Amino acid sequence: MLNISDLRAEVDEKPILNGLSLSLNPGEVHAVMGPNGAGKSTLAYVLGGRPGYEVTGGSATLLGEDLLAMAPHERAAAGLFIGFQYPVEIPGVSNVQFLRSAVNAQRTARGEAELSAGDFLRLARAQGSALGVDMEMLKRPVNVGFSGGEKKRGEMVQMGIIDPKVAILDETDSGLDIDALRVVGDGINRIMRRPDKAVLLITHYQRLLDYVRPDFVHVLSAGRIVRSGGAELAHELEREGYGAVAA
Amino acid sequence: MTLALPTARTEGWRWSDLSGLPALAEARPSGALPDALPWLDLPGERLLFVDGVLQQGSAAVGELPHASDHPLGRLAGALGPRLHVRGRDAIALQIVHVSTGGADHLPLELLVDAGATAAVVETFVGEGWTNRATRLRVAKGARLDWARRTLRSGGFVSVSDDVEVAAGARFVLAQLVAGAGDSRLDPTVKVTGGDAHAAVGGALLARASQRHDAQALVRHAVPDGTSNQLWRLVADERATASAAARVEVARDAQRTDGSQSLRALLLARTATANLKPELEIFADDVKCAHGATVGELDQRALFYLASRGVPPAPARALLTRAFVADAFAGIEDEVVREAFVADADHWLGTLA
Ligand SMILES: Nc1ncnc2c1ncn2[C@@H]1O[C@H](COP(=O)(O)OP(=O)(O)OP(=O)(O)O)[C@@H](O)[C@H]1O
Ligand SMILES: [Mg+2]
Repeated sequence: MLNISDLRAEVDEKPILNGLSLSLNPGEVHAVMGPNGAGKSTLAYVLGGRPGYEVTGGSATLLGEDLLAMAPHERAAAGLFIGFQYPVEIPGVSNVQFLRSAVNAQRTARGEAELSAGDFLRLARAQGSALGVDMEMLKRPVNVGFSGGEKKRGEMVQMGIIDPKVAILDETDSGLDIDALRVVGDGINRIMRRPDKAVLLITHYQRLLDYVRPDFVHVLSAGRIVRSGGAELAHELEREGYGAVAA
Repeated sequence: MTLALPTARTEGWRWSDLSGLPALAEARPSGALPDALPWLDLPGERLLFVDGVLQQGSAAVGELPHASDHPLGRLAGALGPRLHVRGRDAIALQIVHVSTGGADHLPLELLVDAGATAAVVETFVGEGWTNRATRLRVAKGARLDWARRTLRSGGFVSVSDDVEVAAGARFVLAQLVAGAGDSRLDPTVKVTGGDAHAAVGGALLARASQRHDAQALVRHAVPDGTSNQLWRLVADERATASAAARVEVARDAQRTDGSQSLRALLLARTATANLKPELEIFADDVKCAHGATVGELDQRALFYLASRGVPPAPARALLTRAFVADAFAGIEDEVVREAFVADADHWLGTLA
């Protein structure tokens, strides 16, 4: 579904991704782990098309289409969702407004009818309650005054409402308490564990992977995938650290 | 008659461009009314002025105590509608000014008696030069809410307000400029009694080569008054939006609480915003919070919106809408507030 081949990218003329290749097939969950500064968030931003992240080589396709040729909003409409390590605060714009604009813009781009206000609110309420986010919170401005964990839950509510084909979740587990981790893990499984979807989980810790079992685990170091394996690789990393495993 | 107008060198006029006014004054009005007039679905009296002439509704016309001393306001002279809310009445009034071209000048007086309440919605449409000078008096314990929209297809609108707010009274002036043409707003509010409150502010939305300029003054003459001036400016393309907000606190006006919040958003590098908060304080026990910032849309927020599928134009509109919204928060009547939001949305909906 998502095919990344020899991807190279730089920020402020500094090369960060140095020939990264990765393929996600339908129904698969991949985990990417790696030391701080390895380029994991950069990978998410480059795939999302964030301005300032310049692709200098390689390719990335989503469902066979050239992802890198699309504008960021087109990538979303094509089925890509990015859960951000640091979700952005948007004062004055409520989650409801934000998500209704998002869902309807995507539907319009795909030639589908827009959701009515009532249908949207029903969807938002259902997705919110599955993740322990109530309507009061959804009426508040996007991420403003949210705790770290609330922001991450909020991102999963967004994912539930948007219902993407491929999700790249950048440290969605960071900042979550023990119970929230379970709720978010269940959420990811419920929304994304489908034969026609795929997930890339960026994480530092095994604990999220206990809830969302990865089919593959990759180690990203210095802008490249240096090792790949099954779920057991995460345990090995946890025991021995990156130094030994990715050397 | 040759027009004597302030020039860019006149204090307080350097951000306005009045050079088009003589030509507008020379032009002939077409007299053609627009298909739909911008009435809101509200109860109350309606006054329709077409090219400065009352066409619908009734208002006593008479000689005001004196003409305005404002450089443009004085052109309106002293003969105009004189409205008076007596006793403990509560009135609602809508005023629509249509300009079909040319120039028209009109003063207007509204007296709100002690304990009375008035809510006015005033809307400017059309294309010529529409020049208004108001004389508003809010007596003890009275309340006046004035909401003014400038939704023009061209030309120039100038309005100078001369307002006095007596003890325990409340005055709220909220303005929106969202259309074509240029504008100049000069509200001057004198707080003449204790425990009185005045709120003066609005949103100026400017695009193309428009110039919108608001120069507000709130003068606290006595103790225990509160005021707030909140302006939100948006400038796109080659437009210029400007706001100066001045608060003057007289020596006797102890315990005055006056706040000013001026913010401008530039949607293009070629647009200009001017902000000038001014304080002149002679009393020592005074709270005056003020701030002025000019900024651009938050790039991180734009990318966040894009990453969720919102295309650039609606994303910009959503963030700009949020920026402007503060300016309407003081409008108490929900129908009026929603109309202002809808007018701003309409303007934003045509963002490139
Ligand atoms: N604007 C920038 N200019 C220069 N270097 C940058 C810029 N943005 C990011 N980098 C660098 O790119 C590298 C990769 O950063 P990235 O955020 O992708 O790391 P990461 O793997 O997500 O790390 P973490 O585990 O700490 O989240 C880091 O060395 C970082 O300092
Ligand atoms: Mg990171």
